[in-house]
Amino acid sequence: MQLRYVFTELGQSLRRNVSMHLAVILTLFVSLTLVGLGVLLNEQAEKTEQQFGSALEITVFLCRDDDSNNACTGAATDAQKDAILTVLEDSPEVESVRFESQAEAFDRAEDMLGPEQFEGPDAIITEKDMAESYWVTLTDPREADVVTEQVQGLDGVSYVQDLHEITGPLLASIDELTWFSIGVAVFLVIAALLLVGNTVRLAAFARRKEIGIMRLVGASTAYIALPFLLEALVTAVLGVLLAIGALAVFLEFEVIGRLSDRVDFLPWVDWSDFGSVVLIVAVVGPIITVLPTLLLTRKYLKV
Amino acid sequence: MIRFEKVTKTYPGTGQPALDQVSIDVEKGEFVFLVGQSGSGKSTALRLVLRETRPTTGRVYVAGKEIDRLAGWKVPQLRRQIGTVFQDFRLLTTKTVGENVAFAMQVTGHSKGEITDRVPQVLDLVGLDDKADRMPDELSGGEQQRVAMARAVVNRPQILVADEPTGNLDPQTSDGIMALLERINGTGTTVLMATHDVTIVDRMRKRVIELEDGRVVRDQAEGAYDSSS
Ligand SMILES: Nc1ncnc2c1ncn2[C@@H]1O[C@H](COP(=O)(O)OP(=O)(O)OP(=O)(O)O)[C@@H](O)[C@H]1O
Ligand SMILES: [Mg+2]
Repeated sequence: MQLRYVFTELGQSLRRNVSMHLAVILTLFVSLTLVGLGVLLNEQAEKTEQQFGSALEITVFLCRDDDSNNACTGAATDAQKDAILTVLEDSPEVESVRFESQAEAFDRAEDMLGPEQFEGPDAIITEKDMAESYWVTLTDPREADVVTEQVQGLDGVSYVQDLHEITGPLLASIDELTWFSIGVAVFLVIAALLLVGNTVRLAAFARRKEIGIMRLVGASTAYIALPFLLEALVTAVLGVLLAIGALAVFLEFEVIGRLSDRVDFLPWVDWSDFGSVVLIVAVVGPIITVLPTLLLTRKYLKV
Repeated sequence: MIRFEKVTKTYPGTGQPALDQVSIDVEKGEFVFLVGQSGSGKSTALRLVLRETRPTTGRVYVAGKEIDRLAGWKVPQLRRQIGTVFQDFRLLTTKTVGENVAFAMQVTGHSKGEITDRVPQVLDLVGLDDKADRMPDELSGGEQQRVAMARAVVNRPQILVADEPTGNLDPQTSDGIMALLERINGTGTTVLMATHDVTIVDRMRKRVIELEDGRVVRDQAEGAYDSSS
C-alpha cells in the first residue's frame, strides 16, 4: 500500500485547517482535563471514605483495658457486646452493623499510616492499644444523633464517633466538585464532537475533488478515509498529552506539594492513583475525535 | 462485458424514470456510442455501469458481476477495471500532469516502481510525454483531456466509459481525442461513450445505441447519429 499520499494529505490538511484543529485540540484539552479531574476527585472521595467511614456510618468504640473513659470498668465483656449489638440491630435507623476486632483495627491503621510506628519490638502502637468497635451503617445520616443516644452510656461502650459531621460536608463538596467537573466536561465534549464534525466536513469539502477521483479510480474507502482518521488521531493525541500534562502538574504541585502538607489529616491522592486517570483520558480522547470522524466519513465518502 | 437486463432507474422524487426497461449487451472489445437528447438517460446508464447508482429494477452486469449484488467494499475493485473520462476533465490543478496520472496508481496501491515505469508509457500513448511536469492549467483543453485519458487507462482497465469527452472541445481537437479512443479500443478495451456530437458519430461508423426518454429506440451496428442517415 502506498502511504505516501496519505501522509502528504495528512500534513497538508493539518496545515490547511490549523485554526480548526487548534480549536479541537484546545477543547479536547480542557474537557479531558476536567474528566481527569473528575476521576481524581472520585478517587479522593474513596480514600476519604476509607479513612473516616462513609457519611452513612458511625462507629461505636468498645471499652479496652485501661480505657481513658472512666465509665469503663475493663474490656467490654461478651455479654455487653451482645447487648450493644442487639440495641443496634433493633434500631430502625440502622441498616447494618459490622464488628471490627483489635487485629483488624490495627491492620487498618497500619495500612493508612505506614508501618513505621507499628512494627518491631518497641513499636509505639500495638494491637492492644486498638479498641474493638461496631461500624454502624445508618439508613439516613441525619439519624446519627438518635442512634448515638441509644448506645451512648450502655455498659461496655467507650465512645461513639460520629464523623459524618466532619466528613459529610467534606465528602459532599468533593462529590459536588466531581459532578461539576464531569458536568462541564460533558458540555465541552459535546462542543469537541461538533468541532470535530465541522473539521471533517471542511476537510472533506476541501478534498472533494481528490475524493471524487479516488472513488472513480477505485481507491478503497479505508484508503480514502485514512487521512481523516489519522488527522483525528493526531488531534486526539495532542489533546490527551496536554490534558495529562496539566493533570500531572496539578497533582504534583497542588496536591502532593501543597494540599497534602497543609491538610495532613486527609489521605490525598498521589501518583499511584494517576494510572487510571491517564487510562481514562487516553481512551476518551481518541473516542471523541475518531467516532464522529468514522460516522461522517461513512457519510461523505460513501462509494 | 456490459449487460443491461430490463433496467429501469427512477430517481427518488421524480415521476418519470430516467431509464425505462433498457436492455443492452456490449461484448468485450466493442466500441459503442450512446446517443440521444439531453435528459434521455445517457449519463444515468454510465453511472449504473460505474455503480455510482443502482437500478430500481432489472439487472446490470459489468465484467461478469451483477453490480446491485456487489458488496460495498468490492465496488473499488470493480471501478479499477473501468477507466472514466468526462466532459470537464476532472484533473487536480495542484498536481502536475505526471502526478495526476500517477495519482490513480498511488491510491489504488501500486508500488513506486510500477508507477515510474507506467506513467511515461501512457503519457507517451496520449502524446504528452514532453509535458509531464506541466500544470494542467498550462495546457489546452484537448491536452487536458488527454491527461484525463492517460489517467483513465493507466491501470489497464477492461472498460473505458466516456461521458461526452469531446463536449468542451473544438472539432479538430475532438478528432484527436477520438483517434486516441480508437487506439485504446484497438488494444482490446471496451469503450462506451455518451455523446451529442453528430459529426463524430457519423464519421466513426461504430455501433450506436439511441435513447429517447429513457428507452432504447435504436441499436445499430455501424450506425450514424440519426437513424435516417
Ligand atoms: N441525481 C439525479 N436526481 C434526480 N434526477 C436525475 C438525477 N440525475 C439525472 N436525473 C434525471 O434523469 C434524467 C436523465 O438524466 P441523464 O443525466 O441521464 O441524461 P443525459 O442523457 O445524460 O443528458 P445530457 O445529455 O444533458 O447529459 C433527466 O430527466 C434528469 O433530470
Ligand atoms: Mg449526461
